[in-house]
Amino acid sequence: MARISGRIGTLILLLLLCAGCGTAGGHVSEQPESTMESAEELYRNALQEDVLVVYTVSTRVVQTKESFESAYPGLAVEVRDLRSPSLIEAVEKEHQSSRPECDVVLCNDNSGQFRQHLVDTGLVVPWLPADIAAHTKDNPDGNGGSFLYEAEMLFYSSLLYDTCPISNLWELTEERFRGRIYMPNPLNSFSTYALCGAMLQHTDELAEAYRLYAGKDLQTAAGETAAECFWRAAAANIIFTNSSDEVIEALSNGDADFGFSVSSKLRYRELGYRIEPVWNLTPFTGCRTSYAVMIAADSRNPNTAKLFIRYIMGETDGKGEGYLPFRTAGTWSARDDVPDGNDVPLSEVDLIVPDQEALILARDKMQTFWSEVIRDSEKQHEEKEN
Amino acid sequence: MSRRFLSCLMILLLLAGCGRTAEPPVLHVALPWSDYVTDVNSNYYIRYLEQRTGLKLECTLIRHRRSEEYLDALFSSEADIDVVMFGNGFQVTREELEAYGDALVTDQGVDHYINSGSVRRSGVGQILWINSRWLMKLGLSIPSTTGELRDVLRAFRDGDPNGNGLADEIPFTGCGEGYAWSPAEFLLNSFVYNDPYHSRYGVNDEADTLMAGTDAFREGLSYVHDLYAEGLIDPAGLSMSGQELCELVNSPADLVGAFTTASISDVIYPGNPEILAKYVHVAPLAGPDGTRNALYVENTPSIGAIITARSTKKKEAALLLETMLEEEASLIARFGEEGVDWDFSEGTDVSVYGGPSTIVTRNYLWNTVQNKHLNGIGPMNVPERYIEGVTWNGINSDTEYINGHAEMSYQTYLPVINRLHERDQKLSEKTDAWLIRFIRGEKDIRSDRIWHEYLDELAH
Repeated sequence: MARISGRIGTLILLLLLCAGCGTAGGHVSEQPESTMESAEELYRNALQEDVLVVYTVSTRVVQTKESFESAYPGLAVEVRDLRSPSLIEAVEKEHQSSRPECDVVLCNDNSGQFRQHLVDTGLVVPWLPADIAAHTKDNPDGNGGSFLYEAEMLFYSSLLYDTCPISNLWELTEERFRGRIYMPNPLNSFSTYALCGAMLQHTDELAEAYRLYAGKDLQTAAGETAAECFWRAAAANIIFTNSSDEVIEALSNGDADFGFSVSSKLRYRELGYRIEPVWNLTPFTGCRTSYAVMIAADSRNPNTAKLFIRYIMGETDGKGEGYLPFRTAGTWSARDDVPDGNDVPLSEVDLIVPDQEALILARDKMQTFWSEVIRDSEKQHEEKEN
Repeated sequence: MSRRFLSCLMILLLLAGCGRTAEPPVLHVALPWSDYVTDVNSNYYIRYLEQRTGLKLECTLIRHRRSEEYLDALFSSEADIDVVMFGNGFQVTREELEAYGDALVTDQGVDHYINSGSVRRSGVGQILWINSRWLMKLGLSIPSTTGELRDVLRAFRDGDPNGNGLADEIPFTGCGEGYAWSPAEFLLNSFVYNDPYHSRYGVNDEADTLMAGTDAFREGLSYVHDLYAEGLIDPAGLSMSGQELCELVNSPADLVGAFTTASISDVIYPGNPEILAKYVHVAPLAGPDGTRNALYVENTPSIGAIITARSTKKKEAALLLETMLEEEASLIARFGEEGVDWDFSEGTDVSVYGGPSTIVTRNYLWNTVQNKHLNGIGPMNVPERYIEGVTWNGINSDTEYINGHAEMSYQTYLPVINRLHERDQKLSEKTDAWLIRFIRGEKDIRSDRIWHEYLDELAH
């Protein structure tokens, strides 16, 4: 009898485990990428679900949350704002612990890490309803799920300059800009990492720009690329920061002449920040970046998640309120039926496009190179202070 | 037979005794209840301290808000408490402790154990935060002068920026519980260096000059009074409690345009990114003649714990508190579990204060609900290099990062301090009271007679 009970117990346990695996395996992962579930249908089902948890790198989503909750009474959204590396780590940890909390991710997808850790592993799933997918622009980054384009690019202080005082990127290596250029630490900022990594793929253009700037060929050390040569020289002038916020602050109050920042910070001009973007520069001013919105494969609220994605993408006609907070200066629409938030079209800005595959392959090299550069930079600053 | 039986019994009893491990000495510790600590009994830091000291800590949570009330109650009772810890708003000063002299352990003049490292040793004492959503909605820039601030506050009052159709906006509020929350103290720094913590004396060469008696101070007060008279400074903000201020700022009704504080976490509730995202810091404002100052504060170590004289385990209590002051324990007390919540930096990160990094935070715990440490309760002694070198872990609502970012824009306007005047408590109380009267208009700041009456009172 005891033996029979034990067997039954084992069977029940196995069944429970299987049931558990099925649940944790994801409500969403088997969904087709584009479906035609209507907003009404999703809303009806969403009302049976729990609070939607959104992991985001953009605080602008808070405004979307507020209008979403008004548009769909009875639904609630919790926003957790994280930087991209932390966001990826959080989703991975939750998946491993089988205690998923995240439903929707809104993340910078340029460094290759988002793709490598979350998309390729199936921890997040691109999902777009067919009526909206029909209006999305092609994304050369190719992850799917892009809902906004931006750039990591050069800005200058309009408190100090009426017009941009340089025309060639190599001018940033000049002694006159010592300590006058601010840039987020590329080891912690995906956008900056993407820019630095993308430059490794554009060494010929950098070498040619140097020839135009200096009137002679660039001399690099053995095995060194033009990009590494540029960054080593420029790093002597750079103050590394935690984020673009500190960069635009320094530009606005005149502590910096130049700074690399995400282009969406251009919206702070409305608050009186004295910053101007450098749209055109030889050979380029920055790199194109994009933001993805996707559903976590472990989402426990898939209907609310889909409804939220419909909403943040502006609904069928792109005119919905959810997309509005993102249509600001320094951003470009991912939809062909929604105008850009920026006056200057993306095609007229001197930007390079990162190759994510190459970025993934170059990760170790980048990590070693930038660790050295930042340590040297900190040493130099310490010596200067002493 | 009975001898054999007794021998067996003896052997059995001896064996039973050998099998039992020695119970660790139990120390009764009272510590204040905190919103940020989920359960002291299973707290990582408490368990670490038990392992390090070999003591069993029986924790009693203090529900009193004021330490004197608790200490009075404790020492008039028979309660078996060996150690009392302070922190997280439940504070005691050295002067207040003197009243309990006989009830405390005093060994070679040491009657308390310090808490140093909850905050930086020195820094900015007051930061202005403004509702950026309201600015955007009204098409306004962040003000940079006192004149621009007046315009912005008027627009806040009249423009219905919260969009509910009601004139319920509070342009600029504060509370009466401390200088850091006072709009007036902040604004006066755009006219003259105003340090209320040092009785409003100047610094360095002017350390003996009472700034509260200068014409510039008077001009600043006139400006503050005008804002008050126009309904731009919240009348309730002169006297309400800190808790009331928090409720107002965190209200989903979106009621507040601006407030000041030493740390944003003193006002915004934890886990509230929506509210945090709304407020941005404003750099010190330039006054009519371009004066702009940031308030410098020195954060002296506070009292972390005391041992009661009635304790029968004074040696064990001292062991616990001295362990807490060691670097290893202090780093747990401040940052959590090494290797999980933080690591020592390899030098490739940037501190939240813009300098070289020493600590890389993995999970930011300070002023969040957690169970890794006591969020600043009890003794600790964190070396300054770790406080200054803490990095941002990437969470936009990390209040230490937000404060650090804000402080950077105040740094330029901080005085370099060589000499400060001692605080004169009586003088401070007199000036504080006069300030309120001037701001409310109960005394006319523009009347020379009244001004001299004020100066006379300060002089005596």
